[in-house]
Amino acid sequence: MPGIRGAAAADVLKVGIIHLAAESDTGWEADQKRASDAMEAAFKDRLKTTVLWNIFPPQDNERLFRQLATQGNKLIFGTSFSQYAILKKLAPMFPDTRWECCAGIEATDNLGVFEARAYEGTYVTGIAAARMTKSNVLGWVGAYPVPQVIYSLNGFLQGARSVNPDIVLKVVWANAWIDPAKEKDAVAALVAQGADVISGSPNTPVQALAAEAAGVWAIGSTGDFSNYVKKAQLTSFVLDWSPAYIESVQATLDGTWKPTSRWRGLGEGGFCKMTTNSPELPESVVAEMKAAEDAIVAGKLHPFAGPLKDQSGKERVAAGAVLADADIRGMNWLVEGVQGNLSNGG
Amino acid sequence: MRLVFERRAAPSRLMAWLSPVIAVGVTLVLMLALFALAGRDPLASLQAFMLTPLESTWGIGEWLLKSAPLILIAVGLAVGFRAGVWNIGAEGQLIVGIIFGGALALKFSASGSPLLLPAIILAGAAGGAFWAAIPALLRTRFNANEILVSLMLNYVAQLWLTYLVFGPWRDPAGFNAPQSEPLGQAALFPVVLEGSRLNASVFLALAALVLGWVFLNRSYAGFQLRVIGLAEGAARYAGFSVNRAVWISLLASGAAAGLAGVGEMSGPIGQIFPTMSPGYGFAAIIVAFLGRLSAVGIAFAGLLMGLLFLSGDAAQLEFGWPASITALFQGLMLFLVVAADVFITYRIRLLPRLPRSAP
Amino acid sequence: MIDQLLSILVATLVAGTPLVYAALGELVVERSGVLNLGVEGMMLTGAIVAFAVVAATGNVWLGTGAAMLAGMALSLVFAVLAISLQANQVAIGLALAIFGTGLSAFLGQAYVGTALVAEPSALGGLVAGLPLVGPSLARLHPLVYLSWLLFAGVWYLCRRTRAGLVLQAVGEAPAAAFAIGYPVIAIRYAATLFGGAMAGVAGAYVSVVYAALWTEGITAGRGWIGLALVVFATWRPERVMLGAYLFGGVSMLQLFAQGQGVAVPTELMTALPYLATILVLVLISRDSTLIRLNVPASLGKPFRAET
Repeated sequence: MPGIRGAAAADVLKVGIIHLAAESDTGWEADQKRASDAMEAAFKDRLKTTVLWNIFPPQDNERLFRQLATQGNKLIFGTSFSQYAILKKLAPMFPDTRWECCAGIEATDNLGVFEARAYEGTYVTGIAAARMTKSNVLGWVGAYPVPQVIYSLNGFLQGARSVNPDIVLKVVWANAWIDPAKEKDAVAALVAQGADVISGSPNTPVQALAAEAAGVWAIGSTGDFSNYVKKAQLTSFVLDWSPAYIESVQATLDGTWKPTSRWRGLGEGGFCKMTTNSPELPESVVAEMKAAEDAIVAGKLHPFAGPLKDQSGKERVAAGAVLADADIRGMNWLVEGVQGNLSNGG
Repeated sequence: MRLVFERRAAPSRLMAWLSPVIAVGVTLVLMLALFALAGRDPLASLQAFMLTPLESTWGIGEWLLKSAPLILIAVGLAVGFRAGVWNIGAEGQLIVGIIFGGALALKFSASGSPLLLPAIILAGAAGGAFWAAIPALLRTRFNANEILVSLMLNYVAQLWLTYLVFGPWRDPAGFNAPQSEPLGQAALFPVVLEGSRLNASVFLALAALVLGWVFLNRSYAGFQLRVIGLAEGAARYAGFSVNRAVWISLLASGAAAGLAGVGEMSGPIGQIFPTMSPGYGFAAIIVAFLGRLSAVGIAFAGLLMGLLFLSGDAAQLEFGWPASITALFQGLMLFLVVAADVFITYRIRLLPRLPRSAP
Repeated sequence: MIDQLLSILVATLVAGTPLVYAALGELVVERSGVLNLGVEGMMLTGAIVAFAVVAATGNVWLGTGAAMLAGMALSLVFAVLAISLQANQVAIGLALAIFGTGLSAFLGQAYVGTALVAEPSALGGLVAGLPLVGPSLARLHPLVYLSWLLFAGVWYLCRRTRAGLVLQAVGEAPAAAFAIGYPVIAIRYAATLFGGAMAGVAGAYVSVVYAALWTEGITAGRGWIGLALVVFATWRPERVMLGAYLFGGVSMLQLFAQGQGVAVPTELMTALPYLATILVLVLISRDSTLIRLNVPASLGKPFRAET
């Protein structure tokens, strides 16, 4: 019965994904990969997925996104903000294709975006850092000063200062997306300056490994490295993009897909998920973290609630107000208590 | 019988033509072997690698789009390589070309002036030449090795661009993501092949080919450079200035790389990102050698290398191999062409075994 | 304060070690008159081979040995083409660098996301008891100590042995060396293979000891820095050490300064080690007699015994 087989074949949704970094990336792209694996597991043979890795140059991105579209992929994901501009250009040329861009800026006619409120997760892990530090100095290793990283580290310090206002956070930028050896150097530099809890944004296991070697605590902010280190990791949260991927596929299969702008943090169906806590973390701290998480989910606690000052002491949010979403998305300033700077002078 | 390796009485013209063909041929055979090892039908795989990308207008456009900057940079490099001046900083010079051209593009994009694009082209060439002038100055004035200086400056140029894109050049409407605003129409090269991304910047490569051919083959300065490359002592004796050769070589190759940079910026990208080049500055070195440092050769080599870049797509899509496999084949091809080149001036002969008593 | 200084010092040693291996190896190569620009490619290949072996066996030394063999295999390709067939050394070296990058990425696919479990160093127990510096030194991997041994060996070879003189003669005046009866080609092969082995160790150190993790392009340009250091050092082993630790130290200090909130663009800070290398290169090279005295006279020029 060829007709039926034909119909069945047409039911298979072709999905394309382009990752900016190589498959060996253990941080951001690994989270994306986990989500697309979850998507494939959820829909099995109703999907045919094509995945490309390590397509860094923008001119190559456009070529390959186009190629995926012309090869009949009806739902196409970009995994990084750098791809947004390209997808925005391509989407009108392929109106029948549904485009989704992680960390993209805004939805257009057939391009949806999704992004995590990572600062909600870092706020909670910041509480653990504050309770476990002895020196009151925390350290953050950043890859590049993009807003995602800036609001994450700001949230981390806000969480820490919510329990101990004396805490400072030292920030070091590696200026490399992938240079594990340099990340290790950066951890050493932070530890030498008294930091005894290390977190960061390139979120590779290197930081946790380096922290363990140096005898300080590590926190997985947007990455869980408990498989890699024996004892250094206190707590962690991961970016769980699987709801984003699965919802998009489901809606496409149902014929109800619409371009949306999804910006979610902790909570059911959210993009941030608290993961493992170390047995070294006292029960009381775990409870405190849980309470903060619940309050954030319930909307009772906002990590960037006023009064909030920036590094220079200038008030950015008045008492009683909270920082607007748009201002968080484009955050390019550091909160009071951060030691370090942004190259952009923001 | 024993193998003897001996100098030919005169360089073999036949081998000079054959050597790149042999290199490409052996690379293809090795590719086939790798496909077979991976359990694929070798011929079908080769077709997917080398032919499928060229089956549409779009594909042809992409192919020329990839080849043009490689050819442009390689012609510039060939000038210096002939004189024994080793500029391996084309990647950095490309980036500084973008920085210079980009500064104009961002400032005057809105003006819509027809003069903007020519100004960007000039600024790109000036930027590349400026970045190459640093190793030229340090070499001629302080004797500092240009290989190392031009190499170190690649890192510095990349960090400079990073600073700009993360700082002053961020798109105000882009949530502070590290990218510039899209460039206005006046700052872009017009598309020349309908249904593709192929744009007028391809003419820059064509012009470079013609200029390069005239300079290398027909000009006295080109002849001087070649003499300096072959025998510096003799060249000095003849009164040729080595310092001048260093300057010409680096400025020419720097300007070409800078032009390639603005070709990418105002061509397929149309915006400024922290990463602007897929390693064209390094790949062009292979193109220059594969093309035997001649303009005609470089044209063919550039087209081949462009195709090899595209075949990296197929490697991933069809085989799930990492995109970096392209680099493996590129390196291999350079090995082979340089090795095959040896047989232009040398040959292998079979001689009777020497008597045992000989030492 | 003293603790801070010590930890910066230790971190500098850790950061400088791969450069020491790569640069000392290349120094011997260049002293024999051969210029191999492919250090980065050999390092990367060494890095993935070591990683694969350590992941399978858990033995760092087996991994390091395998990396040495991998580096030697690649440098053998270089030697055959550049020394025996007298192909252009710059081109072959660059080809090696590009090839090694691709090869390591290809081989590394299977090791994505694998991390190696660090093992405590046996040497650590010996020095841990020393006053003040003990705990810091105990954290150093034996490969760091071995790099000092390598330095001592190379220094002794170059300065105190007949073999060192022969090596120099081969690099300075190969025709003369050949005329007196030294096997120029064989010596250049040996030096090139040694350089390959050391680049392999440098790569192994980065992937197995330093990062304990595999990512594509993990050496992040350190092979190129190693090359620059040889010139920086004017082909002298003791200056290679100085340069390697200076580079490591500047890299560390800029990270340290960032953490102190020094208000300089971080990109400029990151560029500092490269700018410093150029500066020193200029300072050393400007004295043309000095550089002429030190640079192996036939560096990069092929040698062929005319029979």
